[in-house]
Amino acid sequence: MSAPGSLTASDNAASSDAARFDAVVVGAGPAGSAAALVLARRGHRVCLLERGPYPGSKNMYGGVVYPRILDELLPGWWEEAPVQRWVTRRATMMLTADQALTVDFRSEAWGQPPYNGATALRPDFDAWLAAKAVDAGALLVTSTTATGLLRDGPGGTVGGVTTDRPGGDLRARVVVACDGVNSFLAKEAGLYGKPDPANYTLGAKEVLALPAATIEDRFALGPGQGADFEIIGCTGDIAGGGFLYTNRDSLAVGVVLHLPALAAAGVRPEQLIAGLKAHPAVAPLVAGGELVEYSAHLIPEGGYDMMPTLTGPGMLVAGDAAAMCLAAGIWLEGVNFAIGSGMAAGESAAEALERGDVSEGGLSGYERRLRDGFVLQDHRRLRHAPHLLLSDRVQRRYPQLACDIVEDLFTVTNPEPKPGIGRLVRRRVASSGVRLRHLAADSWRALRTFG
Amino acid sequence: MTVPAAPGPAPAAAPGPVLACRQWADRRADVDPLTGTVTSDPRSAAASPADDAALECALRMATAWGTHVVAVTVGPPGSEAVLREALAAGAERAVRVDAPEPGDAASVAAAIAGVAGMVGARAVLCGDMGWGRGSGAVPALVAAVLDARQALGLVDLATDPEQPGVVTGWRRLDGGRRQHLRAAAPFVASVEGGVALLRRAPLAGVLGAGQATIEVVAPAGTCPVPSWTPSSTGPGRPRTHVVDGPDPDDPVRRRVELLTGLTAERPARRVVRAEPVDAAHQLIAALADWGEWS
Ligand SMILES: Cc1cc2nc3c(=O)[nH]c(=O)nc-3n(C[C@H](O)[C@H](O)[C@H](O)COP(=O)(O)OP(=O)(O)OC[C@H]3O[C@@H](n4cnc5c(N)ncnc54)[C@H](O)[C@@H]3O)c2cc1C
Repeated sequence: MSAPGSLTASDNAASSDAARFDAVVVGAGPAGSAAALVLARRGHRVCLLERGPYPGSKNMYGGVVYPRILDELLPGWWEEAPVQRWVTRRATMMLTADQALTVDFRSEAWGQPPYNGATALRPDFDAWLAAKAVDAGALLVTSTTATGLLRDGPGGTVGGVTTDRPGGDLRARVVVACDGVNSFLAKEAGLYGKPDPANYTLGAKEVLALPAATIEDRFALGPGQGADFEIIGCTGDIAGGGFLYTNRDSLAVGVVLHLPALAAAGVRPEQLIAGLKAHPAVAPLVAGGELVEYSAHLIPEGGYDMMPTLTGPGMLVAGDAAAMCLAAGIWLEGVNFAIGSGMAAGESAAEALERGDVSEGGLSGYERRLRDGFVLQDHRRLRHAPHLLLSDRVQRRYPQLACDIVEDLFTVTNPEPKPGIGRLVRRRVASSGVRLRHLAADSWRALRTFG
Repeated sequence: MTVPAAPGPAPAAAPGPVLACRQWADRRADVDPLTGTVTSDPRSAAASPADDAALECALRMATAWGTHVVAVTVGPPGSEAVLREALAAGAERAVRVDAPEPGDAASVAAAIAGVAGMVGARAVLCGDMGWGRGSGAVPALVAAVLDARQALGLVDLATDPEQPGVVTGWRRLDGGRRQHLRAAAPFVASVEGGVALLRRAPLAGVLGAGQATIEVVAPAGTCPVPSWTPSSTGPGRPRTHVVDGPDPDDPVRRRVELLTGLTAERPARRVVRAEPVDAAHQLIAALADWGEWS
């Protein structure tokens, strides 16, 4: 009699053909599902491995996806994607303790096909995308964690992964690591240098339940329309930002915090969220919302400059695992970059498999694809954005300066006549302690980064 | 105390396959406090810890007796997830009784008994309760329909390879007491969640279970539910504990004081206003003072 849980010969997955695949994709987030979908469509035997009980169960983010990258892969995606609201209103808020300056834009075009952005819940969105990969023929294995790499090919070529299940080796000719930020697989493969906490931020959010009609009233939205607020100046002494998004019948409100600064400040993220919710410009929007969820997750904020080597022999890295989340102030886009890089990884792995060359050279088409597309082009162009945006001046001094200037501009001080705008700006700049040469240098950096 | 599960153990008989019952239910179903409407999400549905323990016991039992496990659930197609888990862990066969809506205990019991007959199982294992903490009546009703012995609410279960078809176990009784049971097939046993931890399914099992065929059968109707009259509808009254009395040589006054606690020192009542964290610290400090926190 075998002891409970012990292995018999037939249990040993590694020895059976059932556990041999052309490709193993680790992580059924957006990157992994996109990679598995592309590989399966090209007729390869793919295993999509996910540690959570279902795709999306472990995943959190702010709440807005920009799925136009799916136009080619899943034409008409908007008819079936599990969307909460179509974002038709985007606002960027600058907050000081008691002021708020908001640039508010809305477009009805974004509320119609092919749409622009949408709020979506990750357990819905990730499960939907993974189901597409399964429909195409990928085998989804859940509740199973990849624990390491099998490296028994020539020259240490990766030949699969070990898992936390008894008899749990999965053999594959290519491994696509889509295991998210802080990828243990990419680290084990030696693709990352020494990790630097300064490259990471921690995102924390609360989901507040409110009736759909209340949300539409408060945010001046039509039925099914959504709003996306990015907020700066709401994180005290810690560099970072905030966000407020509308789901169907809930709001997502949260902060993104520079990791070393958060550790040094000794403040808990939920205190900062509480402060954000209490701000006079935000409080009326979230009032009465019932807290139904709290979550936190790392973001690879460093972008281009923290990216690992993207390929190794028998292995590719995509999505957050390769630090491909674009966090550039007014843009916080990770899901579309994950899907884009996952698709490129899937295509390059499929090509390499078809050519019978999964060496580092054979997989080099991946990086080429990324360089030719938006993923690395946007990242390269915006590579200085994280530094600029997390600097003290952008975080605190400029929001204060901008709010003060606007307050002066709209404060009527009769019987005094209105001051000239130029004089008013000069006066405020002088009293703010911001040096003109810093302002000029930052403007120049901003122009070079975003221009 | 050792009692045979009525009507007494028969000589060991070939038990046939062991039937493991698995209920599929949402662990985090949302109940609207105003309307009572239950909203559930199939993605958070799973078998209960007690059903997992029953499956583990069934697998061990089948190994000991040289037979195999058949997993059964009564539910919609989504409930096949709990059957695939059983297949991954080592069950050989899985049967789903098709039922779009959760049924009452009698119809679920009739369905399970029908499958036991279909597969020739004379040993049926269930969890003592599902996520919904329902009536807990299903195992007893299955036993009634199958005319099988009952060993219900077990906190421990043992099988002997030398005696296929016979189980022994302990059952929890009121007042902290235990009853030792011994039952021979045909029997229905239900176990608490702590009895066994379901083994981690091997990867080969998981890969195979994903593709395995699940037999789907139509429900078998319902079973007659025995009528009963409650003997008492009052609150449960646990037995009094026997506490050592005061020393009879003590003066009467001292004995009265000890028995009533009249002169025992009581902490002074304090009303404090504090921030939540500080309040928590103060509560802990007070509990520690009273010897309630260590
Ligand atoms: C607070 C916050 C707000 C954000 N807001 C937005 C936003 O509004 N819009 C946007 O586009 N992006 C946003 N992002 C970024 C976005 O969430 C990520 O860029 C995106 O999820 C990356 O997708 P991915 O597939 O690479 O990784 P993930 O989504 O992290 O998926 C990785 C998957 O791998 C699985 N996994 C990990 N390790 C293993 C293992 N060893 N074995 C098996 N499985 C494993 C995980 O369970 C997970 O399912 C935000 C992120 C945060 C933290």
